[in-house]
Amino acid sequence: MRDGQIVLSDVGIGYRIYREKVSTLKEAVANRFRHLRTAERFWALRHVSLQIAPGEAIALVGHNGSGKSTLLKTIAGVLEPSEGVVAAQGRISPMIELGAGFDAELSGRDNIYLNGALLGFSRKQMDRKFQRIVDFSELGDFIDLPVKNYSSGMYARLGFAIAQDVDPDILIVDEVLAVGDERFQEKCKQRIQEFRASGITFVFVSHNLQTARELCPRAAVLHHGRLAFDGPTDAAWERYRELERGPAPGPVFQA
Amino acid sequence: MEAAQRTHPDTVPEAALATAGAPVRPSRMAELWRFRQLVALLVVRELKVRYKRSVLGLLWTMLNPLLLMVVYAVVFTTILRAAQPNFSIFLLAGLLPWLYFSTALMQGLMSVLVNQELVRKIRLPHAVFPLSVVGSNLVNFTLSFIPLFVIMATLRQPFTLALLFLPVAAVVLTIFCAGVTLLFATATVFFRDVRHLTEVLLQMLLYLSPVLYDVTQLGEHRTWWFRLFRVELQVNPLSWLVPLVRDPVYYGRFPPLSTVAVALLWAAGALVVGFAVFTRLEPRHIHHL
Repeated sequence: MRDGQIVLSDVGIGYRIYREKVSTLKEAVANRFRHLRTAERFWALRHVSLQIAPGEAIALVGHNGSGKSTLLKTIAGVLEPSEGVVAAQGRISPMIELGAGFDAELSGRDNIYLNGALLGFSRKQMDRKFQRIVDFSELGDFIDLPVKNYSSGMYARLGFAIAQDVDPDILIVDEVLAVGDERFQEKCKQRIQEFRASGITFVFVSHNLQTARELCPRAAVLHHGRLAFDGPTDAAWERYRELERGPAPGPVFQA
Repeated sequence: MEAAQRTHPDTVPEAALATAGAPVRPSRMAELWRFRQLVALLVVRELKVRYKRSVLGLLWTMLNPLLLMVVYAVVFTTILRAAQPNFSIFLLAGLLPWLYFSTALMQGLMSVLVNQELVRKIRLPHAVFPLSVVGSNLVNFTLSFIPLFVIMATLRQPFTLALLFLPVAAVVLTIFCAGVTLLFATATVFFRDVRHLTEVLLQMLLYLSPVLYDVTQLGEHRTWWFRLFRVELQVNPLSWLVPLVRDPVYYGRFPPLSTVAVALLWAAGALVVGFAVFTRLEPRHIHHL
């Protein structure tokens, strides 16, 4: 496999449904045998096969709960598939949620280093990136304030500023462009375009056709955990609209 | 629903899938090593956040065992009349390793749950959380020797060469704490009861371990339960770990080689088992958070 390549082969992510989440010993013992009989599974994703070549950009579309975020988390390696195989080669920058690793009590400065370490960077490497990140975030002197005092826009700006500076092979973005003011959104889009130009694989979740079309020529439609379409963005959008008009089937349960 | 038809031209040949099947991920150990600086940063974060807005800050680390020791010393010397010279130093030398172990365990077993926001969103070895708790408690443990040495000087307790053994004791203790904490941290993810159970067990363990007393001080009783207690003291890892600190500090001697060997075996065993179980169950954590 080459850096930036993503291969999903018949991937399924199943959650056991216990109706009432079991988290005490007593419940586990009481429900022990019932579990074994009716291990009902909810498939957040099933039979998803996708191949994404290095440097390719793909948008994921689908209704709420269709499995988009689950798919992103699977590619990022946060979730391990219950079925099938996932392989993603190279460094992954997950912008699944901006500022996910922030500690509210710590300053922006400390959080930059903490976030860098969460992504596997050393202190030295972060030293080199530090000024660029601060500049990109446009936070200025606020960088030494605890992030709990930040506005949500500032929070997101710092999050994006860190995520954009990790030299990824694969960039995973989950609707983060909806935050920040218009000017900053534009800046983020521009940065992603630069990334694209430098041959980074790009996986993007969007509810906005315009943005998806701008950034990705290819799109995949997820519908109740299944891959319903994979092809050119415009056609994918049509399929998505079509599916949304149809009657929504219930979630996929299987004994 | 129909499977999707692939319409775009950049498809990867089937051969790629075959190689993709092979695990591309580095071993858990190697991955953890890559995140060692994260552990260091989490330790700093823990200390920073814990003592933020407290006037005395890190001083609490030293005050904590000190105040506890005062309570125990008063109880044992004036109320129970323990006839031992420098009894407060005896107590402190036992309490420091005990507090290290019990505090690290109680904080560490919650650490994966406490950090679930990160665990859900970022791919990283979950072991960094319990390990960083052990790390921050190691800092506390180390710092608490400062007041100990002050008290030793005040009470004219001799400083001997055996004190040079303390760094080794700290390493062995840390390995042990890491192993046990990993094991309990993963268990707590699946059963929240573990936390409450451990709380009770630790209270019992304090009295079942030679922390407030020494094995040599025990007299002989010919009852079956006393014999059972003797056996328990033999298998209790703390019987071997506590002397690593108490022997140099209180008795001014290096701990016997056999004690060090057994302690080391316990520590290594705990780490191997703890790490193996933890990494084995790690992929399932996310479904139980």
